[in-house]
Amino acid sequence: MTSTLPAVTTSKVPAQRTPVPTTRSTPRTPPSRLRISRPDLVLCAVLLVAVITVQGWNIADYPTLSDDEGTYLAQAWAVQQGEGLAHYTYWYDHPPLGWIQIAVLTWIPALISPESMTVGSMRFAMLLVSAVSAVLVYVLARRLSLPNWAAGLAMVFFGLSPLSVVLQREIFLDNIAVMWTLLAFCLAASPSRHLWHHFGAGIAAAAGVLTKETMLVVLPALFVTMWRHSHRDTRKFAITGAVTACALIGLSYPLFALLKGEFFPGAGHVSLWDGLKYQMTRPGSGFVLDAGSGSYGVLQSWLYYDRVLPLGGLAGALLLLVTWRWSVTARALAGPALTVAILAVVALRPNGYLPAMYIIQALPFLALVLAGGTASVAHAVLRRRRHGGEKEYVTRARYAVAALLVAASAAYVAPRWYDGARTAVTTDANAPYRAAAKWLATEVDRPEDARVLVDDALWLDLVHSGYRPGLGVIWFYKADLDPAVTKTMPHGWRDLDYVVASPTVRRDAVDLPNVKEAMEHSTPIATFGKGPDRIEIRQITGSTAGTDSTGSSGGDR
Amino acid sequence: MRRGFWGSWGDSVLTSVFIAAVSLALFWMAAFTLWWQMHAWRTPEVLASTRFSRPDGGEGLSFSLLLPARHEQAVLDHTIQRLLESTHDDFEIIVIVGHDDPETTEVARRAEACDPRVRVVVDTHEKKNKPKAMNTALPHCRGDVVGVFDAEDQVHPALLAHVDHAFRSTGADVVQGGVQLINFHSSWYSLRNCLEYFFWFRSRLHLHAQKGFIPLGGNTVFVRTDVLRAADGWDPDCLAEDCDLGVRLSSKGKRVVVAYDSDMVTREETPGTLMSLLKQRTRWNQGFLQVYRKKDWKQLPGFGQRLLARYTLMTPFLQAVTGVIIPLNVAIALFLDVPVGIAFFTFLPAVTALVTFVFEVVGLHDFGKQYGLRVRPVHYLKLIVGGPFYQVLLAGAAIRAVWREQRGRNDWELTSHVGAHLTEVTREDVPA
Repeated sequence: MTSTLPAVTTSKVPAQRTPVPTTRSTPRTPPSRLRISRPDLVLCAVLLVAVITVQGWNIADYPTLSDDEGTYLAQAWAVQQGEGLAHYTYWYDHPPLGWIQIAVLTWIPALISPESMTVGSMRFAMLLVSAVSAVLVYVLARRLSLPNWAAGLAMVFFGLSPLSVVLQREIFLDNIAVMWTLLAFCLAASPSRHLWHHFGAGIAAAAGVLTKETMLVVLPALFVTMWRHSHRDTRKFAITGAVTACALIGLSYPLFALLKGEFFPGAGHVSLWDGLKYQMTRPGSGFVLDAGSGSYGVLQSWLYYDRVLPLGGLAGALLLLVTWRWSVTARALAGPALTVAILAVVALRPNGYLPAMYIIQALPFLALVLAGGTASVAHAVLRRRRHGGEKEYVTRARYAVAALLVAASAAYVAPRWYDGARTAVTTDANAPYRAAAKWLATEVDRPEDARVLVDDALWLDLVHSGYRPGLGVIWFYKADLDPAVTKTMPHGWRDLDYVVASPTVRRDAVDLPNVKEAMEHSTPIATFGKGPDRIEIRQITGSTAGTDSTGSSGGDR
Repeated sequence: MRRGFWGSWGDSVLTSVFIAAVSLALFWMAAFTLWWQMHAWRTPEVLASTRFSRPDGGEGLSFSLLLPARHEQAVLDHTIQRLLESTHDDFEIIVIVGHDDPETTEVARRAEACDPRVRVVVDTHEKKNKPKAMNTALPHCRGDVVGVFDAEDQVHPALLAHVDHAFRSTGADVVQGGVQLINFHSSWYSLRNCLEYFFWFRSRLHLHAQKGFIPLGGNTVFVRTDVLRAADGWDPDCLAEDCDLGVRLSSKGKRVVVAYDSDMVTREETPGTLMSLLKQRTRWNQGFLQVYRKKDWKQLPGFGQRLLARYTLMTPFLQAVTGVIIPLNVAIALFLDVPVGIAFFTFLPAVTALVTFVFEVVGLHDFGKQYGLRVRPVHYLKLIVGGPFYQVLLAGAAIRAVWREQRGRNDWELTSHVGAHLTEVTREDVPA
């Protein structure tokens, strides 16, 4: 909710232009049985191993733990503990399906070793999500009639772009939502055009939206895909079935609120209405192309990691939409191209809120569009206007041009992506966090009585070290925003013992009076790391905490 | 709280488990019914396979068309004339009339005098019903294939040629053609009744044919004469003799082929009044119950087939039960204090019912398109609003059937026909 990607680029490398897609003279046919096609299986399996290796290696230590990851994992932990949807009052910030899935994914490891339920170690669960998504990108590419090498390319773009590697490692709801949306697209493009596949696409789409509500904007593109892939005779049943399924599953969320009596706003309880109002009226982060705005910073943080996929994909999508009339590829890839276009338009709102993980939902579609564009160029160079009696030197020239293009693209992309991958598998960005967690576990005398403000990413570590979840170890902003927490702090900062000042806490303390005062009335007793990324453990001076008896539970259920 | 914590906890757990179990059972029933109802539209290929394949021009079989008529002098002649327009060149029409029905007999005799292909057989049973009438005519059949029509049916002239081709190209023992009620505009219940036929003949019956268990329809059904004679014709004591014949033949492994073409279906009308619809439905339900109790379906080789048979024959009664329980279930979820998770379960059957509803609306649209009929918004409204009331009617018919069967009352409540569809069809025939 609050994070941005850590680094902003300084490099000024121009983005790679996506080659112009052109009409293919021969219509491509999708494979009849992907599951028994050996070249597809081998290619997909090899690439999957590569993607999992690059994404999984060093996953706990890079990138820096994000506050949001901590939030979702802690709520997943609360679900596993049977405490309801969150250990603090669930306030309809997001639909809960996302962390319910995280809870299911991490259930067995958490049973075997409860201490492993921390952000760093549970990032491994996201590998499974990435793997499924990567395979679905391949399947979707094939179902959208791309040749197998281009489908493999889409999988590489999606799984190995440095931007993907960074974002897909993190425990973000968007990654799970992307998986469901890809499944919906795959089912919508089912070659058998089965009524229940389309129905299933509707269900998967609803699951995507319930995982991360922003997926809602992608649904029109899914509709277009389904329309194009359904048969005239059965279309009305297929499409209506899908829309009905999606709507009914989607409505379960308001129904849930209604059943809990929390649909409409009212005194003394949270409501779906208030949650929606909060999300719709979030302060904007400025126009994305306006240098100096928050959105611009987010954009730059994406481009720092990779320019090929976001800019190349965007250009490719625009070209596909423009050449819709003439290009077979453009029509085959209408769904992904439209998805990219919609997401780009939404990002271009003059003063919208642009979170750092926004681009996650675009990644697979950028990859598909870029791979499709590449396939078009390959076809244009190698096959266009080619006939049986073509002179040999022309044919040679075609292959020479193709080889040149491949070499040039590889020379541009490979070093940058290699660097990205190397950083990802070698950097240890989370040593300060680990050290801080260790210090708090060993150096504080009676953790069960201590009251500590921490950012969400560290919260579970402290819970495992014996701190009381909710009111002992406290998500720092709850000290100001959650009435259930503030009422246990009648003396404000004096009721606390420690503040763990991570970059997130320092950034947000400005707007949170209790946190701010706690920072001001504390002194660092241990510091880990250096500069703006350091983590300080600050002890409150003049604290009355530890003697108070406080409420027994932070949750509302 | 009056009760102790554990007592109330135990109670609520029991209630929750009960509610969840009932909800899940209902959900699966509704889901399977929906799945089967949508069979024909699963894939474009399935839809294409439900049609008659185009005749190759050759004709190899001869037909004996049975036309039982009882107090149907108003519509009989029209039906005979229309049958005589058939493009097939080897068929006979056997009109079966009762000895106590001089008006219908007179119409039949007149037709017999005009065309040598028409013959009249008089049924002299004291208590009359359709299976007895058809058994009376069976020895007189000269054709290779016996076909059954009702006196009010509108039969397409090319149907016999298509059926002939279907027999020869598939090696079938039985061919069931489509039957469609057309007068959807007559009343709110006729709308739903038409749609029921649409889903049944257009879609569900094909699934039954594919699975090897099929309750045949009452008309536009064609059976090889030797197969029919070997099966001793129709069961004179069964109120759903058509269903029974299908069950007996498919239990013996006879091959049944179903084909549906919107321009080749036999057009019929819905019962004229709500009461006659209720009576007709009661008769069918009672007939289904009789077929179930006759246990011929137990000879079916596959476990799945027997399960399908059991479920299909019980459907009217399950339908009655679900119609009552689904609203009750939702009410429990809304007004009783059950955990949110359990409350979700109670919505599952309602969700399935809603999906069914939506598909019915789409079905009505498709029905209008297939038959070139104009379906207005008010018809969609009637379809939706009428849904619950029709459910009540079905439930009433199911309860009535059980009651009559218990009392041993199994006389034949015949539906009388006014020919509402005939004018409609005549209008249809006018070239646009």
